[in-house]
Amino acid sequence: MGELVIGIDLGTTNSVCATVQNGTPTVISNRTGYRITPSVVAMARNGKRLVGALARRQAVTNPERTVVAVKRLMGRRWSAKTTQEAIQRMPYSVVAGPHDDVRISLGEQQYSPPEISAMVLTELRLDAEAFFGAPVTKAVITCPAYFNDSQRNATKDAGRIAGLEVIRIINEPTSAALAYGFGKAQGERQVAVFDLGGGTFDFTVLHMFKGVFEVEATGGDSLLGGEDFDNRIIDFLSEPFRQKHGTDLRKDKMALQRLRDAAEKAKCELSSLKQVEINLPFISASQQAGPLHLQATLSRDQLEQMTADLVKRCMQVCERVLGEAKVHAAQLGDVLLVGGQTRMPKIQEEVRRLFGKEPAKNVNPDEAVALGASIQGAMLLHDEQEMLLLDVTPHSLGIAIAGGFFQKIIAKNTTVPTSAHHVFTTVKDDQTSAKITVLQGESETSADNELLGEFMLTGLRAAPRGAVDIDVIFDISADGIVSVSAIDMQTGTRQSITVTASSGLTEDEIKKAARSNEDWMLGQKEDPEFQDRKNRAEELFREFETLWPRLTRAAHNGLGQEPLQRAQAALSVARLQLAQRESDALAGSLERLERMLQALRGALERSQGGA
Amino acid sequence: MQNELQQLEARGDRLTHYELLGVSADADGGTIRRAYLEKSKRFHPDAWYRKETGRFGPLLSKWFQRLSSAYQILSDEESRAAYDSDHRTELSQTDRAALDRRELSRAEEERRARERRERMLRTKGFARIGAARKLYEEGQEYALNGERTQAIFALKAARELDPNRKEIVTKLVELEREQSRARANSALASGREREERRRFAEAITAYAAAFQNDPGSFAAAMGAARCAMESSDARAATIWASRAVELNPEDAGARMMLSRLFLSAGMKARARTELGALLSKNPDHKEAKALLRTL
Ligand SMILES: Nc1ncnc2c1ncn2[C@@H]1O[C@H](COP(=O)(O)OP(=O)(O)O)[C@@H](O)[C@H]1O
Ligand SMILES: [Mg+2]
Repeated sequence: MGELVIGIDLGTTNSVCATVQNGTPTVISNRTGYRITPSVVAMARNGKRLVGALARRQAVTNPERTVVAVKRLMGRRWSAKTTQEAIQRMPYSVVAGPHDDVRISLGEQQYSPPEISAMVLTELRLDAEAFFGAPVTKAVITCPAYFNDSQRNATKDAGRIAGLEVIRIINEPTSAALAYGFGKAQGERQVAVFDLGGGTFDFTVLHMFKGVFEVEATGGDSLLGGEDFDNRIIDFLSEPFRQKHGTDLRKDKMALQRLRDAAEKAKCELSSLKQVEINLPFISASQQAGPLHLQATLSRDQLEQMTADLVKRCMQVCERVLGEAKVHAAQLGDVLLVGGQTRMPKIQEEVRRLFGKEPAKNVNPDEAVALGASIQGAMLLHDEQEMLLLDVTPHSLGIAIAGGFFQKIIAKNTTVPTSAHHVFTTVKDDQTSAKITVLQGESETSADNELLGEFMLTGLRAAPRGAVDIDVIFDISADGIVSVSAIDMQTGTRQSITVTASSGLTEDEIKKAARSNEDWMLGQKEDPEFQDRKNRAEELFREFETLWPRLTRAAHNGLGQEPLQRAQAALSVARLQLAQRESDALAGSLERLERMLQALRGALERSQGGA
Repeated sequence: MQNELQQLEARGDRLTHYELLGVSADADGGTIRRAYLEKSKRFHPDAWYRKETGRFGPLLSKWFQRLSSAYQILSDEESRAAYDSDHRTELSQTDRAALDRRELSRAEEERRARERRERMLRTKGFARIGAARKLYEEGQEYALNGERTQAIFALKAARELDPNRKEIVTKLVELEREQSRARANSALASGREREERRRFAEAITAYAAAFQNDPGSFAAAMGAARCAMESSDARAATIWASRAVELNPEDAGARMMLSRLFLSAGMKARARTELGALLSKNPDHKEAKALLRTL
């Protein structure tokens, strides 16, 4: 089966890990048995690092030390306006880093966004290692199509810190299409991927032909997602409360976290129910009235009304991208719905209306992206599939020129990998260095585009001005990552280039973070005692699983539901303890489970003997 | 594969985009795309990921990129037309014939479409609205197939029949804008190419076309000014350089060029004004200082 490789959907809200096993793309469940891991990291009061569902669950009581949606900060500059806006909405504290980047304060420690992401990745890596029973070091990680060079680099850095060799970064929509096209790659067709996740919206049109996937156009809104729907519900709940009691719950971090959870829960329920009750007892207290409770009813119609503009924004993006790709909505072979928020019936209805067809079945909105990434990994390393991804660069790449203008060197939507060059001529006599400012974006004005970095061409040979021509070569890799090199055209010598401004981590910082992550993992790599208990636990889980069908039958034939329910409760307790590595508590649970197993076996034999 | 690469290398720059993609010059958009996708499967670096490619590695990526850019040029109506007219002499006999065939059939199709539109334009009364809608739909269809010129014709006819329909006008404006942008881009590229080959007169024509289609193009104005200087047409150079300065008053290069031109025409006062403006933005500009001193 070759080298192990995993595909990771590193989402704003949730992450998923997958692999291709015996030719079938498969999601790897995490060690608590779930297929999805929330992208949440927390530092518990006891200093323990928590990741995933555990971190998410304790957010209410620990909002300041719980990091959510760190993806929004990946590869961002502290000084950028969008960063400052994003920070406003974060319940945790974000401070300026040393390279105009951002850092997250958790207790005494400060972490860069890639380090936080690396904690999520490490968790997934450990899940995968538990699944394979072997070390995993290679991964394909996905990122949104609109991610620029800095954001992609930050994602790659996160992988390295987590001890993973990131063999490729691929775009989420392309990845979803890959999962969809897997195994039915022969015909020629056009498909669209509609991805509405927790924080972002992405819409992409692809062309498929004989296993080749070509991205035709892609667009989106990086500030539009499920959270915005939640926020509407939060406003709906807290506005009347404020008017009645004079308290704005949104200003109280703890109350806000509870509101958030309740709003999201209500929203998700309204995808299948017509109406829900929201109950938040003791949400606040007032001097006169004592404890205050919040109680409300919300209907699906109401939700649809208060989010109509959000849904409309999605549809407008679709129309714009379809125009760029020069396709009629009705011409598309299929529309794939990806991202949790596409479960909202209104969204499905609008998609049906715009495209005049049912969205594709057999695409799991939560898993498609990770499955696609695992397929790409297998394609690269095991080339078992005759498939190929032709991705494009989402932004134009260029340099700043005199007068504050931006000169494009590689146009948006160019297929990657690609390269282009630009000749610089010295403008002064004996000029020994030159600065090149590299940007990504579509504006004619440099200042409106995203700064990728400043490069210094140094050690130029002394000559009259105009006599030195330097050929600067810009490469964009298949990951969408930019690199720059330079050659003196007259002498053919390679010119050195140093990055003088980049929002990324330095090589040293990455290595250091990777080492400390490695140390943390070693700390987790248990004492043999825990390892023993873990093995025994897994064995027990399997035994219960095989016994379960017989037990359910027996439950109907006189044994009753009660013993089954008790076993189920004990099993989930043990699973949790295993995930939290509570070695001693786990030992107690295992004993109980063993006793239960024996008793149940006995009961089964008796009932069979009696029959 | 190695043989194929060696053959490609041997033909090098003489290979036309059609030959590279292995399609005939009258191939339609779909055929060109399928050819590109099939070839990518073998040339894309991913197909060779972690395989020993030795000295062929760089060749693979070079030819994959050539392939993509050939596809990019041939997949847009405007840039394909520009490529065809610029490189006609390099095409093989058969490809030239294919090109003529394509032009002929396109002209024929256009003629028929025109006749149909004219017939429809004669529609009277109420039916005009229906005819306009038909033409509008037709225009959209053309636009989707990448045939912008045809789309514009159809929409213009639709507008004549039904001047009050907003969507017709919106689509028309959008397409016309797209067309000028595409024209400006391909003219600019062909200007650069000609300038590099030191065919300055032709380059000026191309830059002028780019400027006409995109009156905000600093690059086109500067290009034309440079080429006019090279072909010693001081008057034209002055006009173009002034336009460039107008478009980007902060650009030192453009101002420097303009001051030199003024100076050689004996217009010292204007040269001084330009240099003053330049130095107020770039006080350390040595050349400008030196030139001002000689004045
Ligand atoms: N049944 C549902 N109905 C509506 N929204 C849902 C449902 N299930 C999940 N969501 C929303 O989907 C979002 C998460 O989507 P996901 O694709 O996992 O996000 P991301 O890609 O950003 O990590 C959240 O905002 C969540 O509330
Ligand atoms: Mg997602």
